Amino acid sequence: MAQTRLMQDLERQGISRRDFLAFCASMAALLGLPKAAAGAIAQAVETEKRPILVWLEFQDCAGNTESFLRSGHPTVAELLLDTISLNYHETLMVAAGEQAESALEDTVAKHKGEYVALVEGAIPGDIDSGYCTIGGRSALDIAREVCGSAAATVAVGTCATFGGLPAAHPNPTRALSVADAVPGVKNLINMSACPANAENIAALIVYYLTIKRWPPLDQYRRPLFAYGVSIHDGCERRAHFDSGQFVEAWGDEAHRHGYCLYQMGCKGPATSQNCPNVQWNGHTNWPIGCGHPCIGCAEPNFWDVMTPFYQRLPDVEGIDSSKWLDPVGLGLTGVVAAGAVAHGVGEVLRYRRGHRPPADDKTRTQGKEREADASDHEENPK
Amino acid sequence: MNAVPEEDPLRVNLHRVYVWELPVRLAHWLLFFSIVILSATGYYIGNPFFGGGLAMARVREVHLYTSIVFALCVLARVYWAFAGNRYARWSDLIPASRDRLRSLWASLRFYAFLGREPDEYVGHNGLAGLTYAVIFCVYFLMIATGLALYQVYAPVGSPLHAFAFLIPLVDGLQMARLIHHIGMWAILVFAVAHVYFAVLSSTVEHVGIIDSILSGFKYMPRGRRRRI
Ligand code: HEM
Ligand code: SF4
Ligand code: SF4
Repeated sequence: MAQTRLMQDLERQGISRRDFLAFCASMAALLGLPKAAAGAIAQAVETEKRPILVWLEFQDCAGNTESFLRSGHPTVAELLLDTISLNYHETLMVAAGEQAESALEDTVAKHKGEYVALVEGAIPGDIDSGYCTIGGRSALDIAREVCGSAAATVAVGTCATFGGLPAAHPNPTRALSVADAVPGVKNLINMSACPANAENIAALIVYYLTIKRWPPLDQYRRPLFAYGVSIHDGCERRAHFDSGQFVEAWGDEAHRHGYCLYQMGCKGPATSQNCPNVQWNGHTNWPIGCGHPCIGCAEPNFWDVMTPFYQRLPDVEGIDSSKWLDPVGLGLTGVVAAGAVAHGVGEVLRYRRGHRPPADDKTRTQGKEREADASDHEENPK
Repeated sequence: MNAVPEEDPLRVNLHRVYVWELPVRLAHWLLFFSIVILSATGYYIGNPFFGGGLAMARVREVHLYTSIVFALCVLARVYWAFAGNRYARWSDLIPASRDRLRSLWASLRFYAFLGREPDEYVGHNGLAGLTYAVIFCVYFLMIATGLALYQVYAPVGSPLHAFAFLIPLVDGLQMARLIHHIGMWAILVFAVAHVYFAVLSSTVEHVGIIDSILSGFKYMPRGRRRRI
């Protein structure tokens, strides 16, 4: 069989066909497809026309790019960069300045409605203050133009998906997610997490090449293959959770035994992503695997709603409610019980002082009211 | 002659009224038992003070199954607030009429030792009715936040994911968790007060006997006007 151009390219980089097929099999597994799908994936990746991608960076730390390039498992990034045609990426491209900007302009003009825009970082909604201006244009302007004429837009990372760190309270730049910055954007797919997992991005592209559709999404437009199950339900420490075995302090006996981090503020029960299975850095490990609680990085506004990271419940006015809520609740219940006893004593005193309650007050059943008696109550009022 | 042919001399001046219909009583007791179980298991979920075996898994299981009973009871009772007798109706809970507002004011004054005589009522007094309306709002809050917490664990494709729309309304799942936990204490505070007032109205006010919530009947003094 004649070698495809992709295989030739890969072999030059020392990636064998066996590695390539292993990659396709791992993508099939990640996508929840049967093992046999690996063949279809291999064929699609080898023969499909390379999709044109442009990667925009706005208010970001380039963490998604870094995560993608340094995904321990070097083949993922290399394979993908060979599989796609990445026309614009500020961090990766050799061109700079006007040359770089014209590459973007050309792509938008020549491939209108064909290319896929990947966006990393939030987009400042406050354009008058000049935050995040590239080549004299505001991020909002660029995003609206580039995403507006893309076949699909992928928001990569929590900042692009939900606003992330730039949008955290008090959100000084009025940072927006892609969905909010570009209303009506076509085929938006959100790959949240801080950073988005390189394997999931690869799987998304592979899915698109193989099945020629975008995958099913959840309520936040995130692919179900990556965000369909909670961290908690996939967690390797779940058996300890179910047994009620919890770490109570950093480095305690339970921590050294790898028990559940629920009491240390783990946000796994409130977060959905496939970290437990796919892990990070080419299956090296993942946060909970090395004893750190999940901080809920894949969820909307996680800097605001998942903090404090090391407490199980949010603060109320700066007070740790996981510590104080139950004592305060119990105290309040006690106060009400004591109040009831005191009130009861008051009632007894009132009774003794001769303020007879009505049932004992014979005068009340005499006179006029007595006449009204017969019509007073029926047996079954309805 | 008196209309009630009772031999019991204590009852001669009393009139038997069917107040709490079966659905009301059933809902009351199912709510009681489910709240006891949900609070005990909920407390453990928020504060797992012992471990071993499958402690947490079993406790969560009991919490979640009981929550179904709880939620259905709340819904059934709300239905009965529109279908039941006058004592079960929403108009006896929410003080919208002048009579109910007067009753609310009268009961407040009596309990604050400002009024000499308790309000005259057959079902709930104005204050009790309003309290129940409020506590039912807390029940709904518990159901809403509970469902928001639960839908995370529902399998892919489950219709329960529809309840994810509740999450932004309460500013995230962690806030839902906090509200759910605070709600438990709100209900327990209510429960203590509720038991006290039930005893009070039975012994001092003579307007409701404790076992009316078992039998459905109250014995009202003759001559008490059917005002509310
Ligand atoms: C009287 C009613 C209820 C009480 C007193 C109650 C109490 C509690 C408490 C105290 C917690 C622990 C919260 C925390 O600090 O993490 C909890 C958790 C929970 N409750 Fe309830 N609850 C009630 C009703 C419900 C209902 C109606 C549902 C409906 C599905 C529900 C579902 C849940 C879920 C899913 C959790 C979280 C369990 C977990 O994350 O492992 N609860 N409940
Ligand atoms: S470590 Fe976190 S995600 Fe894992 S079982 Fe415990 S609470 Fe759940
Ligand atoms: S374990 Fe939690 S915090 Fe860590 S990457 Fe996954 S979702 Fe983000």
